[in-house]
Amino acid sequence: MPLIGAVATMSDATSPLPLLGRAVTAGGAAGLATGLFSLLLAEPLMDRAIVLEEARSAAEENAHQAAAGAAAHHEELFSRSAQHFGLVVTAVVAGLALGVLFAVAYALVHRRTGYLVRAWPRALAFCAAAFVAVSLLPALRYPAAPPGVGDSATVANRQSLWLAAVVIGVLGMVLAWQVYVRLAGRPDPVRHGAVFLTGAATLAVLFLLPGNPDEVPVPATLLWDFRVVSLGSHLLWWVVFAAVFGGLGLRAARGPAGAQDLAVGGLPVAPVR
Amino acid sequence: MSSHADRHTTASPSAAATNHGRDVLILAAAAIVALIALYAVFMDNGQIVAATGDYLHEFSHDGRHLFGAPCH
Repeated sequence: MPLIGAVATMSDATSPLPLLGRAVTAGGAAGLATGLFSLLLAEPLMDRAIVLEEARSAAEENAHQAAAGAAAHHEELFSRSAQHFGLVVTAVVAGLALGVLFAVAYALVHRRTGYLVRAWPRALAFCAAAFVAVSLLPALRYPAAPPGVGDSATVANRQSLWLAAVVIGVLGMVLAWQVYVRLAGRPDPVRHGAVFLTGAATLAVLFLLPGNPDEVPVPATLLWDFRVVSLGSHLLWWVVFAAVFGGLGLRAARGPAGAQDLAVGGLPVAPVR
Repeated sequence: MSSHADRHTTASPSAAATNHGRDVLILAAAAIVALIALYAVFMDNGQIVAATGDYLHEFSHDGRHLFGAPCH
């Protein structure tokens, strides 16, 4: 390893705050990119789904005109264009928050080596694992649904299930990682097979959860398109996050910060294990 | 920003030790704020701003649908 990289690693190993800064920056950038991407690709689908929903509830109202009309009409707090803007804001806020949680997880996993060691490949590997745990596995069990789907009477129940799916995804990934680490030294087929079985068991547990109780009265093509765009937005978030986080890590390892550390800090701070 | 923190923590071994506890606290506080923010955009159904209406839910409505968070 080059000397500058080693020195930057030592200072960074004692403090997770630069790591936090890089992850939050990457999270904000990924949130903004995802928000704009979905503004272009997902909003036309959501607007179409809302038009269909309104047509559906209007038809229902006509059918049950006698039964005290206007029951299904809920008041709109925000216009559709305000909700379009809300999508981008939501993506950025969620991106910043996920960046913080990512930094905590990354700091825990890599606390022994320092946070600038192999910054790029580690960023990619961590983000790939996080995408599977946080985005892909929960989406396989409880795929996203466009507006017009979702009964407010079941929302609390669905939230518990969704949270459970995210937690199971994360626990499954941690378990797979631990299995891989603890089987070091065994033959590769044993190691990889054990990781595969851990993944399969995680999927099985996910599918033991009760299914989504709601009806999905949406045309199949619209539903498919929406789910593809939804998963694509998740993927884009992790790709942009990995690129920015990994790039900032590389820059911190070889950039002016590392050079300054070399000039200022004559004393070794902590041994790098 | 990151260069300041980098330089700061290289000052001396004892400073690095006291900074460590502070850093862990900052990280924990940031994680709590992050969880509250995620709750607000993905989970809130009027619990946070209930008096005047379901503002948080309605404003983040499209984001909730897009990212797969349950919505009404």
